[in-house]
Amino acid sequence: MGMPTADSQPILKVVDLSLSYLTRQGPVHAVQSVSFDLGRGQSLGLVGESGCGKTSVANCLMRLLPDNGRLTSGQILLDGQDLVPLSEEEMRHFRWGRMAMVFQAAMNALDPVYRVGEQVMEAIEAHGVEGTTAGARERVARLFRMVGLDPQLMERYPHEFSGGMRQRAVIAMALACDPAVIIADEPTTALDVIVQDRLLRELKGVQRELNMSMIYISHDIGVVAEVTDRIGVMYAGRLVELGDTADVFGAPMHPYTAALMSSFPSISGEKHGLETLPGEPPNLANPPAGCPFHPRCAYATEECRREFPSQVRRGSRWAACWHPLTDMAGAGK
Amino acid sequence: MTNYLIRRVGQMVLTLFLIVTLTFFLVQAQPGDYATFYSLNPDIPAEAREQIKASFGLDKPLWQQYLVHMKNTFTGNFGISFGHYPRPVLEVLAERLPRTVVLFLSATAVSFYVGFFLGKAIAWRRGGVLEYAATISGATLFTAFTPAFALMMIWIFAFKLGWLPVGKFLDPLIWRGAEVSANHVFSYMLATAAVFIVFAFLTLLAARKLGRLGAGRTPFLVIAAGAAVVPMAWAFTGVGYLALDILRHMILPIATLTLISFAGTMLLTRNSMLETMREDYVMAARAKGLPEKVVRDRHAARNALLPVITSLVYSLIFAIDGSVIIEAVFSWPGTGMTLLEAVRSEDLPLVMGSIVFIGLFSLLAHVIVDVLYVYLDPRIRYQ
Repeated sequence: MGMPTADSQPILKVVDLSLSYLTRQGPVHAVQSVSFDLGRGQSLGLVGESGCGKTSVANCLMRLLPDNGRLTSGQILLDGQDLVPLSEEEMRHFRWGRMAMVFQAAMNALDPVYRVGEQVMEAIEAHGVEGTTAGARERVARLFRMVGLDPQLMERYPHEFSGGMRQRAVIAMALACDPAVIIADEPTTALDVIVQDRLLRELKGVQRELNMSMIYISHDIGVVAEVTDRIGVMYAGRLVELGDTADVFGAPMHPYTAALMSSFPSISGEKHGLETLPGEPPNLANPPAGCPFHPRCAYATEECRREFPSQVRRGSRWAACWHPLTDMAGAGK
Repeated sequence: MTNYLIRRVGQMVLTLFLIVTLTFFLVQAQPGDYATFYSLNPDIPAEAREQIKASFGLDKPLWQQYLVHMKNTFTGNFGISFGHYPRPVLEVLAERLPRTVVLFLSATAVSFYVGFFLGKAIAWRRGGVLEYAATISGATLFTAFTPAFALMMIWIFAFKLGWLPVGKFLDPLIWRGAEVSANHVFSYMLATAAVFIVFAFLTLLAARKLGRLGAGRTPFLVIAAGAAVVPMAWAFTGVGYLALDILRHMILPIATLTLISFAGTMLLTRNSMLETMREDYVMAARAKGLPEKVVRDRHAARNALLPVITSLVYSLIFAIDGSVIIEAVFSWPGTGMTLLEAVRSEDLPLVMGSIVFIGLFSLLAHVIVDVLYVYLDPRIRYQ
């Protein structure tokens, strides 16, 4: 893709990231050897079933892990700077200052006892983005307008907001310090479809306008297809397929991606019966040997049960599969 | 809010009515007749006796006496104390009540602060040495037998070490020749405390209105400066040493009460903190890159405070309840000791007056905490 210039360096580079949760039953490998690049101004979707490690990846990037979470390997290079070895205090400046988050449970991400505007101001003050209180207030008003909220709502408390308004407020909060990367973790899941659709478009608009990079996490592949340039499919803590959104959804390489797609209804695409994927995702405390998808995969063979597949590359995309689907096979299955 | 307050005051009057009724009949149910005891008191001259008898309606049947007693109570006539004859009950209580309220409010405030501070610290760093030390010592002190523990405190700090006075409200040796009365000095101390609290509150309010950015530690410096002015102002009045003497007498009872009761607030805060620490807004606060202390205090602890405040009202009532024991051990002349004295000497008007006032104080504490709650939790609005 053109000449490599300084600007074409990815803003975020994740290399071989692994996370385990220590539990009484032994370690649970929630994220295993996940690697991906996020270009400047690009948006990357992460999809997969519940419990596949999408949110854990987001929490790793922000280094917001519960007490029993351990990063067992990997690098998180934000603009070339590795975040993994940083101390809590050093990390604090990267949080929100360079990388912000729109939370999964946005409904509860606002503290009930403070005014909404105050909570956005708090982030601005913590990172010294504005020098004066008046400047910070002006900035909050601007952010509110940007996400379609009346600036006067700054003085209201979260319980006085509707679900959609709270979600907008949380997006405004994420934008407060001009982050280079925004991680949106299921930001619209709790909203009704109409509000969801409008918010998505606005989020996309703001991301383009400010030329931010975005990681969009969702189990709803319809939504992800709409807002992302590239997409990564996760299964059992591993990234199993990564490529341009149009390519991946047009012709999935990994059987899991194909199964995921055929289990979702499509309005614009051709009509087909919805299929459910039999079986359940594996227990991450004790994953099956080889490719974790093999117990549910129609194409599984001896080698799938024996060894985790290496990446099969096709242009700018890849899949980790012993028997990647060719262009037509995915749709026919 | 106004409607709510009016309704609450209405409820208070009703509850007070019940308290007065119960007190009246409980005292009547005691062995020894109210009227007989009154008329047998040799300190009271015959003509005054007749007058009092009539004013209490003691010559009338019980139900009429009750009605008269009720009317007297609600018109502020609590009768004349036997033990402090001829001082009216109200005058005795007016002298004693502030001493109790100040002692126990200070003790409750200190114990609440200590409990809350420790509670949030041990919840934030679970499994630390502090957690075990604070929980074990707190629970031990909480379950200790109050009079024995209070005596032990006196034995250590007053008797063995001699740092603090053994008990009582003031030291007569220091007060000999003083031109002002203890009540006078004490009421000025109360006024000073009230003015200072209002000053600190207004400073914080002003700092908030002006915005936190750039304000930094200024409001705290202003409050500290105000705190420094207070002793200087007292030094000028020439009775500062007398105020200091009263303060010195307050330290040991407050410390004892704090040690006995802080564990309640501490364990409650800890549990409440463990709940709020799991909330998404605490994670969001950390994600925002706020310093750990801000995440802990402004978000986790601030929300954990809400259920703990509810318990404050019970500890306030406990404070007044417990005042009988603590005041007796420390010879602190407040309502608790007055009640005990009055019961011992069968000073029935004073007994009834004390009980009614303790009840009234508990009711007030309830309303104050309810109103405080509105300011602490914006989600709560009373109609």
